[in-house]
Amino acid sequence: MIPRFTYVRATSLDEAMTQLSSDGARVHAGGSDLLGCLRDEVFECGKVVSIAGLTELKGITRTQEGGVRIGALTKVAEVAGNPLVQELYPGLSQAASEVASPQLRNQGTIGGNICQKPRCWYYRGEFHCLRKGGNTCYALAGESQYHCILGGHGCYIVHPSDTAPAFLAFDAVVHIAGPRGRRTVPIDAFYVAPRDNAQRETVLEANEIVTELILPQPASGQRSSYRKVRARGAWDFALAGVALALRLDGDRVDGGRVVLSGAAPVPWRSQETERVIAGRRIDAALAAEAAEAAVSNATPLKRNGYKIPLFKGVIEEELLKIAQA
Amino acid sequence: MRSEPDRPYWVEGEPPETPQQQVQQEPWGETKVVGKPHARVDGYERVSGSAVYPADITLPRMLYGAILRSPHPHATVTGVDTSAAEQMPGVHAVISAFTPDDEATRPHSEFIRSQLFNPTCRYEGEAVAAVAADDPYVAHDALRAIDVEYEVHPFVADERKALEPGAPLVYERGNLGREPRTYERGDVARGFAEADVVLEEEYRCECEIHTPMEAHGCVAKWDGDSLTVWESTQGVYNVQTGVAAALGMPLSKVRIIGHYMGGGFGAKLQAGKYTTAAALLAKKTARPIKITLTREETYLAVGNRPPANMRLKAGVKRDGTITAFEFAGSGTGGAYGTGGASSLDWVVRDLYLCPNVKTELTDIYINAGPSRPFRAPGHPQGAWALEQMMDALAAAIQMDPVELRLKNIPSVSQGREGAPPYTTTGLSQCLEDGSTAFRWRETKQQIERAGNGGHIRRGVGVAAGLWSGGAGGPPCTVIIKVFSDGSINLNMGASDIGTGTKTIMAMVAAEELGVAPEAIQIEHADTGTTQYASASGGSKTVPTESPTVRAAAIDVKRQLLALAADELEVAVSDLTLSDGKVVNTTDPSQEVEISRLRSLQRRRSITGIGYRAPNPADKATCPFAAHFCEVEVNTRTGEVKIVRFLGAHDSGRVMNRLTYQNQVFGGITMGIGYGMTERRILDVDQTGKMVNKNWHDYKLATALDVPADMTCVPIDVADDEANIAGCKGIGEPATIPTAPAVANAIHHATGVRVANTPIDPSMLVQAIATAREGD
Amino acid sequence: MAQNGKAGDETPRGDQRGVSRRGFLTSVGTGALSVAAASKIAAQPLAPTEVLDAHEMSKITLHINGRSKEVLVEPRWSLAFVLREKLGITGTKIGCDRGECGACTVLIDGIPRYACLTLAVETEGAEIVTVEGLMNGEEIGPVQQAFVEQDAYQCGYCTSGQIMAAEGLLRASPDPSLAEIQHNMSGNLCRCGTYPHIFAATQRAAELKRGGGGES
Repeated sequence: MIPRFTYVRATSLDEAMTQLSSDGARVHAGGSDLLGCLRDEVFECGKVVSIAGLTELKGITRTQEGGVRIGALTKVAEVAGNPLVQELYPGLSQAASEVASPQLRNQGTIGGNICQKPRCWYYRGEFHCLRKGGNTCYALAGESQYHCILGGHGCYIVHPSDTAPAFLAFDAVVHIAGPRGRRTVPIDAFYVAPRDNAQRETVLEANEIVTELILPQPASGQRSSYRKVRARGAWDFALAGVALALRLDGDRVDGGRVVLSGAAPVPWRSQETERVIAGRRIDAALAAEAAEAAVSNATPLKRNGYKIPLFKGVIEEELLKIAQA
Repeated sequence: MRSEPDRPYWVEGEPPETPQQQVQQEPWGETKVVGKPHARVDGYERVSGSAVYPADITLPRMLYGAILRSPHPHATVTGVDTSAAEQMPGVHAVISAFTPDDEATRPHSEFIRSQLFNPTCRYEGEAVAAVAADDPYVAHDALRAIDVEYEVHPFVADERKALEPGAPLVYERGNLGREPRTYERGDVARGFAEADVVLEEEYRCECEIHTPMEAHGCVAKWDGDSLTVWESTQGVYNVQTGVAAALGMPLSKVRIIGHYMGGGFGAKLQAGKYTTAAALLAKKTARPIKITLTREETYLAVGNRPPANMRLKAGVKRDGTITAFEFAGSGTGGAYGTGGASSLDWVVRDLYLCPNVKTELTDIYINAGPSRPFRAPGHPQGAWALEQMMDALAAAIQMDPVELRLKNIPSVSQGREGAPPYTTTGLSQCLEDGSTAFRWRETKQQIERAGNGGHIRRGVGVAAGLWSGGAGGPPCTVIIKVFSDGSINLNMGASDIGTGTKTIMAMVAAEELGVAPEAIQIEHADTGTTQYASASGGSKTVPTESPTVRAAAIDVKRQLLALAADELEVAVSDLTLSDGKVVNTTDPSQEVEISRLRSLQRRRSITGIGYRAPNPADKATCPFAAHFCEVEVNTRTGEVKIVRFLGAHDSGRVMNRLTYQNQVFGGITMGIGYGMTERRILDVDQTGKMVNKNWHDYKLATALDVPADMTCVPIDVADDEANIAGCKGIGEPATIPTAPAVANAIHHATGVRVANTPIDPSMLVQAIATAREGD
Repeated sequence: MAQNGKAGDETPRGDQRGVSRRGFLTSVGTGALSVAAASKIAAQPLAPTEVLDAHEMSKITLHINGRSKEVLVEPRWSLAFVLREKLGITGTKIGCDRGECGACTVLIDGIPRYACLTLAVETEGAEIVTVEGLMNGEEIGPVQQAFVEQDAYQCGYCTSGQIMAAEGLLRASPDPSLAEIQHNMSGNLCRCGTYPHIFAATQRAAELKRGGGGES
């Protein structure tokens, strides 16, 4: 059961940031990830700062540039069901609808979803692992069924978010508020790889808050999708997933992004795949070649070798599907 | 000496005995109430939120208990410092193996040291200390404040390595639970020599955890020297025995109440350490204590279905005659018990005609949570091996797998000593009616004709099974009381664990007494006020209780009719009960309402007693099953969609068509989880700790993992020789053939045989890739 | 709105009785004072930032099944805990206490949520509906009726949560397809495995609701 904490109900963003500036304070948006971490005692937290009442951080609107702004406190379910998102960014809508369970989509916010803590069972469990300040990543020699095959370095988590790969595919921009003002970070640069720092997942400082995500106007001919393979039908993170946002002329790829989930400690842009498909028509042979390229640099751990054929299979399938869409 | 499958694992002590029944009991013919679909008599309580489960109970001045558990799979507790915890506001008591004797725990201190808080922790989750506090949050704060000194020992967490030389020892005497048990009939060498095809394969089933929706727990309260416990249990009398023994108390002073409970599946057949801890804390604080285990604790400490490693060799002739089976199985009950391999071989011994069978079972200790009986112990594992082997044999001799099974239907229980005949066997009919309803041959041909060219492939699979239990039996006593106004009270000790026991027993009494089931008021599952019943488990509740309830109803009916015969001055044999009246069958105009019987008015009530009669000597009574399913496999990703499922079951007379179907679908759903998603994962190479002790990482089937298209085909033939209700159990057989049916369908779709559970995409995509490399 | 205060020195207001911390904690059901039939609470203007101390009890007002209840809580207490152990509303079950089973599903402002993964202090001002709130007096509502008819339970422990998930779905989508039902009921585990009957019950409940059979 959760240890004691002081609860702060912030009524303004400024107040929230002030409250977050004290040691051991954590932000509570939907609460679903935070309370899970507190129950598992993943980190100490003396103060919970709830920003759930900040209505200015909610909602989905069109930007003047023809893109879409999604407030960080917008529920994942609202992102999944929003007509604007469904029309312009179907891959994001699909990703959001695949998150966790219906109730958690009703509770979890989109800001919280992209800022989730890892789901690694060593990190969440009673193991003093590298990411929690220890000396070792237990997955390296241990039960690595759900760990990374790309981008691991000291720590071998996978990033748990379904929506983050979609945002990355769409080249979204993260807006952040902090005590020293506001800043924007392209989502490419939002996540921190373990090679750079194995104790943090994002560039957010403890007293910073994601306020909104901005999606650029879709390029003409853009098609998108998100596909997730998981161990059971619901309530599960990706064993392997792929977010596509491609500009297509018929079945010829003019450009765009291929982003993997369940592959790496951060949402993983597969530039190897992108290079293979750029300027070419997607057919069975190309799809297989592109899928092969995606895992060409992969280094599986003891128990996750299956991710190689699985990623190949899911990428091949999704490329063929989007070419025929 | 009774053979293992007939020794009900849920009854301890002397062989049961039944008092003589006073009335001749004939089988039912046609029934009016029994067998029809009937909504539950306690449905209102279950949907309105008004049913009170043990976890719902709040008593005045009640405190909350919590248990500190060893984080190490193997360690010795050398000291427990509880001083900080004891001084926390809101904490009322802390007990451990190092608690100095005091009034509350003195009579049991020896027990506490050696048993309740065993200083030698042989599994992660062993109890080390317990606290009582104002609320569960504070109780867990107190647990965090307890300082335990552990001497940590090397551990072994993989039974496949536990017998290797140099493996860390769970016990000094070694990790072998007991000498391997062997069974042999005929001559397997000769059998294999006679075969046209001999196949051999290794199979493995992963450890499955019960995880009922309501975690284990209880509320304990003392009244002077007597103890009342509201326990989430399958059997109040089992808990009573356990608690009385633990506390050194007379049975009469230990009252266990277990009305509603949130599922058990075998994990709640006994008292827990938490039950004893709650009683001790309640004594020490002189206040009622509620302990509800956390979900994580239920993964570690209150049972599991052991993992099974199996090797099966089988011989068959071209005409489908099975000539020999040779089976070796090993498993682990964790650090305690010797049930790790129990009944693994039973389906191999008993399901199909085979003159030459040899089996060997090995129990191994490891540093992990103790196993407990889990829905048909050993059988789903054995069926996983046998039923995949049957499929492989059928393919090898180019025979339809249903056909091969039909060619080998026994009428006697070959695995039992003396090969007694079954009272009834519906195995052929399960296969025949099931395959007809499923359109087995048509679907199979259609799939094979269409070819499996693309990456989305279809397949169908079949598997059969039997449950070695499912007969029920003595001891069991039921009382039925008719009040002066004609209203009826049924008193039985059995728990209704969700299978609909109360509803079925109301239907049985109603059938016999000529009233509506709703007219029967039921008192049950209370050792203080209701009659003895063994625990509800092993598919034996309905075949135990139904004949007993019927016997009690016959007894009370006999008395009522005798009174009425005197008053109406007619022969007893001419009278019957209908619609709350005594009716003369020779002159239907002559009738009297029960409430108008003057002798009943004078007596105020009449009581009938029923005892469960013994099962027929030299016969075996077993339920049988055949499952059919159709799957769609994505060979690129290893994803499996189960399109439809059909369960055909012979469980004797169908008692309630509605709850029967629910049991079948529930068994199939659990079997899908067993075959497709569930496994305990221990960190075998580093810490020995369980890494997936929650419902996210340990994956039960969700609404999106089972097909909405499920069909239940009951083979509704009363087994009148088995008992006077003609019924056999349905709970366990419903889950035995499920997983291999899916595996066989996947093989049909892909040509890939997956010999290990669970077949999730990670397993299947790898198996398909490996098979392709081999091409 | 929450009031800060040490649990032991709560100030009686209006017609409310003062309750000591000890008295509150040991006499469940009396610590919570029901106020009859509060109407839907209008959006309240945000007060200044509130700080509820970790070690103190704070009085909050929850709107549950059409009634307002004042209750003293610690910040860390879940809504499920407060409902069950402090207010005696035990239809809401706890299966995992970590948002992984759905037994605690309640409607918060009409939407299914896990009460075990929701802080009680977060639900001030929201309309909370539990399975008891689907009753009309002692009459069960249409979803409950459908669950009885279709035998959509076994042990019954997940049932309240299943019913609330179905209720939430049918409020948003009165005539759902089978696929929609399966998708929306996928956040509630049933270890007894009654999913096919739950699907049938949800379909039946939609019929009953459309037929005007006892709108809840």
